[in-house]
Amino acid sequence: MRSITTRAMIALVLGGVLTLGAFIGAFFWAGVPDFGFVRTAGQVDSVRYKGPFEQAIDEARYLANYAGYTVEVEADGESVRGELVSADAESVEIATGSGNVTIDAADFEAATVFGSEYGRPDWGQKIFYFHVPVAEISFVVFAFAAFYAIRFLMTRNRDYDTKNRVSMEVTLVFVGLTMATGILWTKAAWGVWWDWEPRLTTYFILTLLVIAYFVLRNSVEDEERRAVYGAVFSILAFIDVPISFFITRLIPSNHPVIEGGGLEGPMLISFILGQIGMIALGYAIYQLRMGEVQLQERIEQAKTLLER
Amino acid sequence: MASASGRQLRAMLRKDIVMELRTKEMIMSMGLYSLLTMVVYFVALSQAGSNFDPRDIAAGLLWLAFIFTSMLGLNRSLVHEKDQGCLEALLLSPVDRPVIFFAKAGGNLIFLLAVEALTLPVFGFLFLQGTHLDWGSIALLPLILIVGSIGMAGVGTLLATMSVNTSGKDFVLAMLFIPLMYPLLLGAVTATGGAIVGGAQGVSVFWTGMGWVVGYDVIMLLASYGLYEFIVGA
Repeated sequence: MRSITTRAMIALVLGGVLTLGAFIGAFFWAGVPDFGFVRTAGQVDSVRYKGPFEQAIDEARYLANYAGYTVEVEADGESVRGELVSADAESVEIATGSGNVTIDAADFEAATVFGSEYGRPDWGQKIFYFHVPVAEISFVVFAFAAFYAIRFLMTRNRDYDTKNRVSMEVTLVFVGLTMATGILWTKAAWGVWWDWEPRLTTYFILTLLVIAYFVLRNSVEDEERRAVYGAVFSILAFIDVPISFFITRLIPSNHPVIEGGGLEGPMLISFILGQIGMIALGYAIYQLRMGEVQLQERIEQAKTLLER
Repeated sequence: MASASGRQLRAMLRKDIVMELRTKEMIMSMGLYSLLTMVVYFVALSQAGSNFDPRDIAAGLLWLAFIFTSMLGLNRSLVHEKDQGCLEALLLSPVDRPVIFFAKAGGNLIFLLAVEALTLPVFGFLFLQGTHLDWGSIALLPLILIVGSIGMAGVGTLLATMSVNTSGKDFVLAMLFIPLMYPLLLGAVTATGGAIVGGAQGVSVFWTGMGWVVGYDVIMLLASYGLYEFIVGA
């Protein structure tokens, strides 16, 4: 009993210190990651929150946030440069030296926004140092849950069932955090709270699956049966994890992707610190909950002994 | 041994089909349910006027009808087994667990396909009249219906076997089934949409969607086949 709590406490302190260190590094040392619309992270340091910036846009509707900025739009093989008047899913209107030009969104190919001073992407991008580690840990803990599920089905040892359930609870915590931070960032970067975009959709499905796991468990009376059903369903549900992880790399998606070697220097160090810290925090939550569950089980055992 | 399994499989399939032919319960309820869905579609689209091309939304509406009617059928097929103690008898008899899975999934697949075959012309009659249809690509539709239904019936049978033993049968099945079906639905709607819109581009979209659904079927059927033994024995 004691060892679990001790380990949890060490992990909690370590995780807290590292995560805090990562946040301090992210806010006062590292630059602002530019993951707004660009798929590659190769240019992370090129955007500053003060000074000039260039932002590449690949869909007409994403120009909507940049009214008043100087833009250069490529459409129908021609390029138009001027001040952006308005933009939506249908058309883009640009004020040039020789009158206003309206471009049909169907002809839209690409655009570059030239901003200065208070350029977006902005401080909202700092959520990267929290959102990404949290999301990755949600996948990792889910993998542990599936692993314990397989172990349970192989051995029928109830300890594995408890581990599977506790892992799923921790997954739910991290999935919730990922969703919350993701939605905040989506509003800041894309101007909408939600978009049915491949990564968001598959992650939403993942959230539903984790919730469904608990719905399933709570509606089964028999203990043995509940354990088996929970294990089987968490294995089936785990299939969505690789789908959600790789989908941004397989089909066109607006969700940013860190591609190999994209992060450098202070950003990379803060990011890795945050990840290690988050792993430690996840482990700590898992162990604390595990200790609580085991204590509960001991109480139940003691109760049944007393009743005899 | 293989022939014994084959005989058992045929016997169980025959049992389901004979029971269905006598009561006509599943086909009736699923067929009427999908008809009712059409009424709801009409209401839902009544305010949209004629400013849209029905072919663009047909695929989504069709699969929406299929997924909800399939849940109805899946629930019923397993509730019968459980209420009349048939599943326990099956488990007592010397039949391999995978055979039970394939027999139940096969039965569900047949009923699902029957209902789809009924729904498709009705849907076309009600919503697609007067639109230009490319019959060459429409002829591909049965392919995606069969491949999509295989995945639905396979995973659905596994989940329905779980959900009949829970306190909130229908709700639990929906909660488990719809999120797990998401990849298949997306692929199937893509492929169906491609086939209905037609043309060279439509056909290439169709095969992309088919690829996803086939991949999903392979992975999920293997997983369901492997895990069914634990579920049915629990």
